[in-house]
Amino acid sequence: MGEAMVKAFRWWWGILLAFSLVALSRFVLPLAFINEVIIFSIYTIGCSFLLGRVGFISFGQPAYLAVGAYGTAFYLSYFGTNPYVGLLLGVLSGLAVSGLVGPLFVRLRSDYFALVNLALAVIIYYLMQKVLAEITRGDNGLWFLTNIVATPVLDISSPNQFFIFALLVAMAVWAFYKYLDDSIFGACCLATKVNEDKLMFLGYSNYSVRLTAFIIANTTTALAGAMYAVYLGFVSPEITSPARAADPVVVTILGGTGTLYGPLVGAIAYTGMKDVISKLIGNWELFIGFLLVFIMLAGERGIWGTLQPRLQALFSRNSAPAAMDDRATKRP
Amino acid sequence: MPPHSPVPPHNEDLLTVRGLTVSYGESRVLFDIDLSISPRQIVACVGRNGAGKTTLLKTIAGFLKPLSGSVTCDHASLVGRMSYDIARMGIKYVPQDKKVFSDLTVRENLELGSYATKDYNWDRVTDYFPKLKQLMDRKAGYLSGGERQMLMIGRALLGSPKLLLIDEPTEGLAPSIVTHLKTVFGDLRKNTALVIVEQNLPLVCAISSKVYALKEGRVVAALADRESISVDACERYL
Repeated sequence: MGEAMVKAFRWWWGILLAFSLVALSRFVLPLAFINEVIIFSIYTIGCSFLLGRVGFISFGQPAYLAVGAYGTAFYLSYFGTNPYVGLLLGVLSGLAVSGLVGPLFVRLRSDYFALVNLALAVIIYYLMQKVLAEITRGDNGLWFLTNIVATPVLDISSPNQFFIFALLVAMAVWAFYKYLDDSIFGACCLATKVNEDKLMFLGYSNYSVRLTAFIIANTTTALAGAMYAVYLGFVSPEITSPARAADPVVVTILGGTGTLYGPLVGAIAYTGMKDVISKLIGNWELFIGFLLVFIMLAGERGIWGTLQPRLQALFSRNSAPAAMDDRATKRP
Repeated sequence: MPPHSPVPPHNEDLLTVRGLTVSYGESRVLFDIDLSISPRQIVACVGRNGAGKTTLLKTIAGFLKPLSGSVTCDHASLVGRMSYDIARMGIKYVPQDKKVFSDLTVRENLELGSYATKDYNWDRVTDYFPKLKQLMDRKAGYLSGGERQMLMIGRALLGSPKLLLIDEPTEGLAPSIVTHLKTVFGDLRKNTALVIVEQNLPLVCAISSKVYALKEGRVVAALADRESISVDACERYL
């Protein structure tokens, strides 16, 4: 029993520590900022998984974000008032759309995959802005904040309690992705990225592996969209704007591609810089652009990818348990 | 995954290739190839570079679609099947390039093989290649050429395949490892048929019960009895 607990702690401690720090930051940082970071990191982890594990770069993540957000928004605007049901419908919408387009998209080469996803984001943008404007109210967006009723146990209509909910969801998402990383499926994803022919020699279908990864990643993105919708009580086509298509890719690279905690670190850095730098200079994207160029030239490892080996060395010198994120070191 | 069907009796061919013609685009590489392999037999394909040996193995393994001809295993046609489907039928291909999943450890590489075949017993693998036991937690990218070859053959053995297609297994390996592989191949024959593409003629002649010599995409000789198989005889056709 004791051994099992130690084993469970060793598995969980990185996630617990990371999100405890996020929780503690509540005392020094504005609630809106932390909520945005948490949701943005969930938004990014799917993109990070696709890029770091499967080798697919996607510039269409806003499409799946919007599907989740509008799935929730339609329910809360027209059909019901329970935010949990709205969240569930948002996630199911993401699952349905990824299941629909996935069988077509994952057959494509990585470069075409990136573009076809971007095309999907553009299609959804114009669908929401123009074609379905009667339902979506076009650029004005759907407002449903006042429709959301208070819920028992954890009332996510309140920003403070939404923060706790978002934190718990994020921990569950990270635990799920950590489990995926450690699983045979995670190894298959990496194998299909590195050498798809060899994976077939062993009896695996690359198509099935990629499709499963695609659906998992984009359903996670839809979850982030649904959380945005409930948190803001508002959704507009701007959420899937092609101008924002590179955001999750930027955050993935900024945090450290293929690392478990990269999306969280990247989301903190990106949102922080956006908030701080945009107050000082108008074009904050320019700063992000220079930073990305610097990161690429410095070795493409991103913030967490650079910090993690140093922290691991520090922890191992102090005989602490295994480092928080062994994923970066798994990849030479 | 269904278990592999029992291997046919000795007098019945396990794999039969008839009239196989293969091309890369407009360029034909194999012309009207016929060959057969019995269960628990080691068959070697020899020939100079560009003779079409690797193309032959890749076509049997489902990576290339033939222009014409048939490939059957246990009376089931392999033409048109996906390569992962052929692997699931118990026909495993070990390619020449010795590229393993370098980001994964030896253990993870074997786990991939185990999960695909539902064979989690690694005793046979570690009996043949004891060194892998000591390397379980090492990244496959850090293995030597010989260790990689052991890992690739060991991984292919999981699920007890009925046919192994091995492309240039000894290329670039130290003599001691070649000797070890020779012993392993001899032992594997008890349960599995092997098709080996190999340039090392003394090894081929020592272990094979049938040798096909390929030249410019055609089978120019089939040496089918032990007495006729010799280095001189093989060299005559190259």
